[in-house]
Amino acid sequence: MSDQNDAVSTFERHRAELLASKRLMTIVALAIFLICVALSVWISRFTPERLANGVPRIFEYFQTIVPQLQWDVLFEARNEAGRATPGSLTYWYADFWTYIELIGETILMAITATMIGAIGAFVLSFPAAHNFAPNSWVHWLSRRFLELCRGIPEILLALVLVFMVGIGPLAGVVAIAIHTTGALGKLFSEVNENASSRPVEGIAAVGGTWVQQMLYGVVPQVTPNFTSYALLRFEINVRASSIIGFVGAGGIGQELNRVISFYSDDRVLAVLILVVLTVTVIDLISERLRLGFIGRENFA
Amino acid sequence: MLKLDKLTRRFKDTVAVSSASLDIPDGQMVGIIGRSGAGKSTLLRLLNRLIDPSDGQILFGDNDIAQLRGRDLRAWRSDCAMIFQQFNLVGRLDVLTNVMTGRLFEMPGWRAMAQIFTAEERALAVQALDRLGMAHTALQRAETLSGGQQQRVAIARALAQQPRILLADEPIASLDPMNAKIVMDSLRSINREDGITVICNLHTLDTARDYCDRIIGMQDGRVVFDGTPEQLTLGMARDIYGAEAGEAFNEAATSTSLGARPAPARATA
Repeated sequence: MSDQNDAVSTFERHRAELLASKRLMTIVALAIFLICVALSVWISRFTPERLANGVPRIFEYFQTIVPQLQWDVLFEARNEAGRATPGSLTYWYADFWTYIELIGETILMAITATMIGAIGAFVLSFPAAHNFAPNSWVHWLSRRFLELCRGIPEILLALVLVFMVGIGPLAGVVAIAIHTTGALGKLFSEVNENASSRPVEGIAAVGGTWVQQMLYGVVPQVTPNFTSYALLRFEINVRASSIIGFVGAGGIGQELNRVISFYSDDRVLAVLILVVLTVTVIDLISERLRLGFIGRENFA
Repeated sequence: MLKLDKLTRRFKDTVAVSSASLDIPDGQMVGIIGRSGAGKSTLLRLLNRLIDPSDGQILFGDNDIAQLRGRDLRAWRSDCAMIFQQFNLVGRLDVLTNVMTGRLFEMPGWRAMAQIFTAEERALAVQALDRLGMAHTALQRAETLSGGQQQRVAIARALAQQPRILLADEPIASLDPMNAKIVMDSLRSINREDGITVICNLHTLDTARDYCDRIIGMQDGRVVFDGTPEQLTLGMARDIYGAEAGEAFNEAATSTSLGARPAPARATA
């Protein structure tokens, strides 16, 4: 009986010590966090007055880009001379088909960049996974390469690439593909690190090469998650490729930049509405697809 | 003839296998017994080089297996099939593809990459499955099968390798007695009918006695017993399992038998 009491009191003392040390850690972490918040507020001069002063200016800007639509001529088509009536939708969206063409280009850029990036990420995710890397320096090299790829902002890459290959979608596709390789490569390698090593050992034991061990032992396990992450990246890349045109790397961003710098009128809003609609629709579709993959193919 | 000469494997501070020397003639069915952590698993993995030895030799004919690298090493693994306690199948591939991976070493690289198998490879795999009574599951995903069924598929994969040696690392430790008997019976029939050497880690004494020509006992990485089932006396078994003096060693405690035992294996050394 006394032995039992002893075990309980030893345990309670041990638990109290553990809790005390944890509490200290929590307090230290909280203090550091608060200091960081205070610093960032001070550096960005994030004050309520400045925000309040800025809010009306948002509306000022929006006033300049809101179209002057008139109800009575809203649905009026172009006249015999081929001119649209001011105040009609046709007038507002005079360049509608140009926008659609550019949005199509934007989506194609995102698809191409996602595919190229996913292929690069797929190949590198196996040496970059610490449990499957054939040796430590290949592991180190592929990790650092992926970090480099995702460390450089897309827009900066695009700037350099526009300089190299000229204005147009090619620069944008390459820039987004490089960033995608880095970002997806990290996610893919983490999926690989969670994969079971048993099937891999099985393939090693039949005399399979390293590539065969990955292809037969790991790939079937990770395909659903890879697909899901690639689709998520596609959503992100649609947004990225609609912005990247600002530096001349193709897509709708190039047009958005043009209308903002040359006109800054209702054309800006016309383009913005289409961009937001496109991104939303693609998000919705891809989310459906992703849920389908994860739901059907539960990753163990 | 497989010959181990002072085979040793160290992991940092511990010696998992310590200077093991054994001669295993072709066609023998060998059981390795011992407590958990005695080094049985490490010894088996050393044989097909899933683990590299720290010291010593593994000789098969004139080849030193311990020195093999690259393609030669893969050739040896293909000749020296292994089945595992946890089956180590690819759960999300169908049973047939799992068995056909047994042919990977013989396939040209591009076909292995593209996962294209010939009609002959398919036929070989279906025959191997049929031999284990699993042909009807060929197009199912491996993970949908029960443990016993998965182990039979794993044996079919090993057969598809057309190996000279079959290593079995605790093949029945995760199975119920009924499936354990099916698996052990198939290992014995492979040994008897195909003349393939079978080396099998077991943690149940009675299975080792019933199925094996020869029993090797391991304790703390060393081979402490090597003989026929008849030579394995209760006292020897007690030593191998390290049962404390005075504590009655009950053979039934390590048993997974269904009661009706098969006829004892013939003793050929």
